[in-house]
Amino acid sequence: MTRLTRLLTLGALMSGAALAQQPTKITFWNFLGGGDGARMKTLIDGYNDSQKKYQVQQTVLAWGVPFYTKVRTSTSVGQAPDLISFHLSRISGWAPENLLRPITTQELASAGLKQADFFPKLWQAANYQGKTYAVPLDTHPMILYYNKDIAGKAGLLDASGKLKPINSVADFTAAMKAVKDKTGAYGLAIENGPNSYMGWRMWVSMVAQQGGQIVKDNKVVAGEAGKKALTDMVNWFKAGYIQKNPDYPTSVAQFTTGKAAFMINGVWEVPTMVDGTKTKKLPFAYGVAPLPKFYGNQQNVWGDSHGFAIPNNAKNPIPADHVAGALDFIAYVQKNGVTWGQGGHIPAYLPVANSAQYNALKPNADYAKASASNVTYDPPGWYSGAAGPLEAIAAKYLPAAFAGQLSVDKALSMFENEANKLMAGRPKP
Amino acid sequence: MRDTLTPQARVQTGVPRTTRRRPPGGPIALLMLAPFLIAYLLFFVFPIGRAVQLSLTQSSLTATGPFVGLANYVQLVGDSDFWASVLHTGTFALYTVIPVTLLGLLMALAVNRLVRARNFAQALFFLPFVLPVSVVTLLWQWILNSSFGLVHALTGTEVAWFGEPGTAMPTVAFVTVWWTVGFNMLLFLAGLQNVSKEVYEAAELDGAVGWKSFRFITWPLLWPVTTLVLTLQLISSLKIFSQVYILTGGGPFNSTRVVLEYMYDTAFQNLDAGYASAIAVAFFLIILLVSLVQAALLRGRS
Repeated sequence: MTRLTRLLTLGALMSGAALAQQPTKITFWNFLGGGDGARMKTLIDGYNDSQKKYQVQQTVLAWGVPFYTKVRTSTSVGQAPDLISFHLSRISGWAPENLLRPITTQELASAGLKQADFFPKLWQAANYQGKTYAVPLDTHPMILYYNKDIAGKAGLLDASGKLKPINSVADFTAAMKAVKDKTGAYGLAIENGPNSYMGWRMWVSMVAQQGGQIVKDNKVVAGEAGKKALTDMVNWFKAGYIQKNPDYPTSVAQFTTGKAAFMINGVWEVPTMVDGTKTKKLPFAYGVAPLPKFYGNQQNVWGDSHGFAIPNNAKNPIPADHVAGALDFIAYVQKNGVTWGQGGHIPAYLPVANSAQYNALKPNADYAKASASNVTYDPPGWYSGAAGPLEAIAAKYLPAAFAGQLSVDKALSMFENEANKLMAGRPKP
Repeated sequence: MRDTLTPQARVQTGVPRTTRRRPPGGPIALLMLAPFLIAYLLFFVFPIGRAVQLSLTQSSLTATGPFVGLANYVQLVGDSDFWASVLHTGTFALYTVIPVTLLGLLMALAVNRLVRARNFAQALFFLPFVLPVSVVTLLWQWILNSSFGLVHALTGTEVAWFGEPGTAMPTVAFVTVWWTVGFNMLLFLAGLQNVSKEVYEAAELDGAVGWKSFRFITWPLLWPVTTLVLTLQLISSLKIFSQVYILTGGGPFNSTRVVLEYMYDTAFQNLDAGYASAIAVAFFLIILLVSLVQAALLRGRS
């Protein structure tokens, strides 16, 4: 062999090797921080190790308005990533604006996914006018966390150490009163400072439990149901069962340090309890239950869902092999949904949600089924959904009512005015 | 280039002799200015022009919509939310401009008297200014947290400083003063060190010591620095955004929503870029007007 042929052979070998090692890069933007972020990273690493064809590269951005603004602007200039995480509550706003690329049944099928594999309610939430704009990943409703030590002292547990059923506002009020009288702790820890969202989520749940509706034809119609729900909540603050004004981290700290008997929060705090128990940092035994029935027999609970979506990058459309890679990754995440479920979220993928492995997860089994079947989303509309403007407006006035800065009537009328102004004045480019 | 043509060219064209003294101009200066001029046109003049143009349309955040003339401005004049936000911005300026100037001066006077510890004290007072806004706000959120904060631990008070309409704006102003006063102190210190010792010695011979020396020597000689500080401070106070955005989000119930927060909410949350541009342009004019009036007033004093 001459030197030249040797060189050529070597070159050919190297480029061949390079070609074989060059996987298609799938860019993935998400807003998953904390434990959710860690679990998503596990899933991405697992996927990248499991095959050679694609490589998913994630960029983690700030949750909320910053994330959605960035996706919106980058999509409009043709610089969007291949894949994003998305709240299904925003589909009704984003789909009509052509910001998301519809995913066809064939594309899904080629990745081994089909409609029948998902909770019907979630599938419906990921669709708009007959087209699929996202692949649902989970449901994350609010649940009731309780401190078994305090609840036990207040006589709220049954013989097996579980919370006795709470079936009305009166039941819940009585439970918090017993806690306050017998232990001096706060009844409930819930985020309620200015611009906090948990009050709105609670209100959405309680209005829905009365069979009420919040928005109809771009107008606030919460009326009597809305007033009753807010009045009942405000009374808990007035009685001193809930501290006024704590922000999100403070409310979680109140519960985890044993200063409150109950906490109402999203399922995403489940890992805090599980890890706290494992490392013995949680100074008490805890339990979880679905959000109580406050009115009648309906057990509606506010919830939202994460999903995966492909930005509709019109100026720079996503190539077919990137679509295939993104869907292949989504399918992998769905099939390994138990990892995601450990974050408290209820998997959207039925084969996992019904699997023995997921159902053995504790404490998820105590709330998953009931919560998933009663989940209530934010009212649909361009203005609605996670970090949407309607939620932001409610987050101004509802906490002010809790803090006693505004009366219930005043807070609701201010909310209605600003919300109606927003919903009437849609820019139509 | 013209200079290379002289003297014959001058004689031939009959250009008066005095123009000889003009600095070499035209093309070379333009060439040297070009990079800055381009940047200025591209990143300042063009965006302003675009903002004015957008403010005359009905646009969403990412798509420019139809031309609607002055409709956005007509709406703005009758928009009580806008005027409330102007009022909040003014209140914030009121809470910060004078205190931060006065405190800066007092701190400079105190530090200037120190001999050995001067650098140390200077560094100590200047330190907060070095911190980014996110750190400053986080720090004070922790200190003032109504359940777990330092102030709560020391005094037992459960006041939610950023959560009550009565305390939210003063507290944001307080944090801002704490954060920015060090810079003004430096400006005053520089001013103080420019006053020559001989002036004080001469005044002392005439019996001007203590308050009198400050009133008749230091204060008048520091006036140029004071006008500078006041002007800079007024403009930066009117442009308040990040502290409000992070600490209160404009709440509770809009009571601290300043103009730029309102503009941000309109553009990025309500996706109404046309109206947000109108707010921006109107506010640009307001700041311009206020600065001109202030400059005129202060010039009168000197």
